[in-house]
Amino acid sequence: MKSMANPESVLKKTIELPYTWAMGEPTAKFLEGLRNKKIFGTKCLKCKRVLVPARKFCPRCFVNTKEWIQVSDQGTLRTYTIVYYSYPGQVKPPPYAIGVVDLEGADTGFSHYVGGVDLSDPAKAAGKIRVGSKYRAVWSRKREGNIFDIEYFTLL
Amino acid sequence: MTVNEVAVVGFAQTKHRARIRNQSSSDLVYQVTREALDSCSLTAKDIGTLIESSSDYWEGTCCSDVVTMEAAGGYLKEESKVEDDGALAFIYGYLRIRSGLFDTALIVSQTHCSQSPPLPTLSNLSCDPFYQRPIGLEEQAAAALQMTAYMKKYGATEEDVAQVAVKNLGNAVNNPYAHRKVKTDIDRVIKSKVTAYPLRELTSSPTSDGACAVILASGKKAKQITDTPVWIKGIGHSVDDYFLGDRNLMENIGLRSAAKQAYKRASIDNPLKQLDVAEICEPYAHQELLWTEHLGLCGKGQGAKLLREGVTTMNGSLPVNPSGGVLSTNPYVARGLIRIAEASAQLMGKAGKRQVGDAETGLCHSVSGLGGQLHCVVVLGK
Amino acid sequence: MEKTVAVVGTGQTNHGKRFDVSWPELVHEAVERALDETNLTMQDVDAIVCGSMPGMLEGTSDPHFWLTDGIGAYGKPVMRIATCGSTGMSVALTAFYHVASGLFDTVLAVGTEKQYEGSSQGVISQMGDPHLIRPFFPGAVAGFATQCVNYVSKYGLKMENVAEAAAMISVKCHSDALDNPYAHIKAKLTVDDVLKSRVICYPMRLWDCSPTSDGACAVVFASTKVAKEIAEEPAWVKGVGYAGDEQFYGDKDMVDWTACKTAVKRAYDMAGVMNPLKDLDVAELYNPFTYQELLWYELFGFCEKGRGIDVARNGVTTRRGDLPCDPSGGNLCTHPIGATGLIRVAEAANQVMGRAGNHQIPDAETALAHAMGGLMQFNGVMILGR
Repeated sequence: MKSMANPESVLKKTIELPYTWAMGEPTAKFLEGLRNKKIFGTKCLKCKRVLVPARKFCPRCFVNTKEWIQVSDQGTLRTYTIVYYSYPGQVKPPPYAIGVVDLEGADTGFSHYVGGVDLSDPAKAAGKIRVGSKYRAVWSRKREGNIFDIEYFTLL
Repeated sequence: MTVNEVAVVGFAQTKHRARIRNQSSSDLVYQVTREALDSCSLTAKDIGTLIESSSDYWEGTCCSDVVTMEAAGGYLKEESKVEDDGALAFIYGYLRIRSGLFDTALIVSQTHCSQSPPLPTLSNLSCDPFYQRPIGLEEQAAAALQMTAYMKKYGATEEDVAQVAVKNLGNAVNNPYAHRKVKTDIDRVIKSKVTAYPLRELTSSPTSDGACAVILASGKKAKQITDTPVWIKGIGHSVDDYFLGDRNLMENIGLRSAAKQAYKRASIDNPLKQLDVAEICEPYAHQELLWTEHLGLCGKGQGAKLLREGVTTMNGSLPVNPSGGVLSTNPYVARGLIRIAEASAQLMGKAGKRQVGDAETGLCHSVSGLGGQLHCVVVLGK
Repeated sequence: MEKTVAVVGTGQTNHGKRFDVSWPELVHEAVERALDETNLTMQDVDAIVCGSMPGMLEGTSDPHFWLTDGIGAYGKPVMRIATCGSTGMSVALTAFYHVASGLFDTVLAVGTEKQYEGSSQGVISQMGDPHLIRPFFPGAVAGFATQCVNYVSKYGLKMENVAEAAAMISVKCHSDALDNPYAHIKAKLTVDDVLKSRVICYPMRLWDCSPTSDGACAVVFASTKVAKEIAEEPAWVKGVGYAGDEQFYGDKDMVDWTACKTAVKRAYDMAGVMNPLKDLDVAELYNPFTYQELLWYELFGFCEKGRGIDVARNGVTTRRGDLPCDPSGGNLCTHPIGATGLIRVAEAANQVMGRAGNHQIPDAETALAHAMGGLMQFNGVMILGR
């Protein structure tokens, strides 16, 4: 019998699934800090590093962190990228820039958006974002205790 | 290559609950890792290799070990993750130590079921998109099909199946870590709400939040770490066909084969006589009856008789699920590892109120997949 | 290490867009080819290790249950492994440990992905802590683009020089892929073609990035007892190493990368590799993005830190060079993620066994395979030799 089936038959479907993720206390407290325009780290007494974002234990020493320490909302841009592609479920439409900022007072870098730059042309935009320069947090006017209480980091 | 003896030297589990609030999956992993290390006076530095077991769909995370590895003390360790039952991760850790390349292994497994879509949603998604998924097959429905066939084939009754729930939920009362515990009776069980006919609320497991960690060590190391090592005598795991219709649901090739491998390695030819305690994974009550048959504890269709005669009760000659089993506690992916922690507790004499007398040899079993597609069997001994 | 575990045969699908087959059928294609090559039947296989990335990539949870029949696993031990991008390598390592345990003589390792069936970046962006990391992780490209920018600044390099060296790697891989019958993307390119392609994610351009592929790979591992019966010249596992570090990018040095160096050192020490440029004959590096191959040259000890560009320029890692890297075209050309790491192992083993066909490196005796994954975390290395 000659097959009538399309040799490349497909079935299309979109799957949406609900999740509710517990933050754990340090994350909840860290995000509450953002609402008050404060960035907190926790200190590991063994390796003496201040870890930002704040967390319960030090991943390297595997001991509980002890002290809560407020760090600066300014720091040095370590690296960045500019996203020009899109995909389903993306946090916002491209282009947008993401960077890692080494905040003053912290021993780790903090990932967030880099803003205040026209990103439409990659070649021009890249020149305007400066690794090694000082950046500061731009706080959202309406803060709700989540990561977007910082809108982005901008050149100081 | 030297082949080492391998032993369980420490373990820990959370107090499993319907919902553990305010703790993330990482927090649960961190808690059991710390407690398991403390239970045998080790630090994260002493651990040679880490095997995790968790599920991306349950965690709602792409690559769950990305998040939890550091909570299990995995920084720069030789890590791997089994994306399935915790007992498989345990078997993998055992293989790694047997290779002679590691002296110690930490096995960690967790599921925070209350955070995730319900079990029927997720287990339906494990089906192929063309045949079994569109008609709504999922774990509970598949188990219900199996129960119907079991009752029909062997003349087992709803009461027989309910008796499993009465036993296990009653045993759970003695287990401080158990989630669902209740002294109940057959009447209440068979009047509980039908979930997928003929399964009912009390003959189906709940889903729980919880985690479990187990520490393994090579022979020489184990004796340095503890006076009560629990030796791994034999392991086996195996899988059945995918399509339910391809399988004989009354004769699970996965379990038959897993048991055969484990018994051969542990030199067990009469399991009913040689085993002192068993922790059998029974997400649905009738499965305990069926699995006892496939594990060779009794003949075909004799599971209910074994229970009626009291052999598998706390006072019987082979107590099955003194912990209360999966019917009481089901942090999905971790449930197989919990069977191993529970059996180890029995053999170490650390099982508290649920301790069975003089347990020398214990059996642990776990299962995953619709209708029990993949099984693990582990035999432990003093 | 002594000869205890060997690769004795491999099978790969024709990678690419494979809407002509269902997922189990795709896996079956690779398994059949591995069985054909080794003259084995499933009866001869003692255990199976399989792996793929999150089932969300294909919209199926725990896909090993569905894939069981395609693998031929009925009645056999099966274990599913998943460690993100390094999954394929972790599958190989798991198969290695199965045999090394002394409990299994013949173990089939299977890795697969069918990425055209789902949304790769949509899924991969759901990685890491959901509260603090995911909003700033739009998938693998962006993650590794930050690594590249950091690389350039850390060593005071010029972006245009790095981009040009990366473009040379793109030209090399896409051209080498022409000689690999299983490769997905194959092309004759010029450096200019690469440098003029559109920016996907600064500084990565289209030709700097790997595709997403449908594909599967099967590799047969065997014990000393049976290896020589199955293959005349097995590829023995000489060294293995794996390590991961923290999930937050900001916690670590993304360039002088501890997890990578740790995994490499473990494998080198076990295999007795002192001078990689001399001791290795060929390397299958995990290069989803061109820039990363430069980084690997440094972290694997092929050159000093910050000098990867020189290696790309002087041709050492081309097929005629002293240490050809990714003569298969690498994952830059073929990237069914859950299979990719295992394909590196298969390609390295084929080189050692003399079975690499048109992309065979003459007299290759020692080969390295590598894979990487997570939020710049996991690195796995396997060294194979005669």
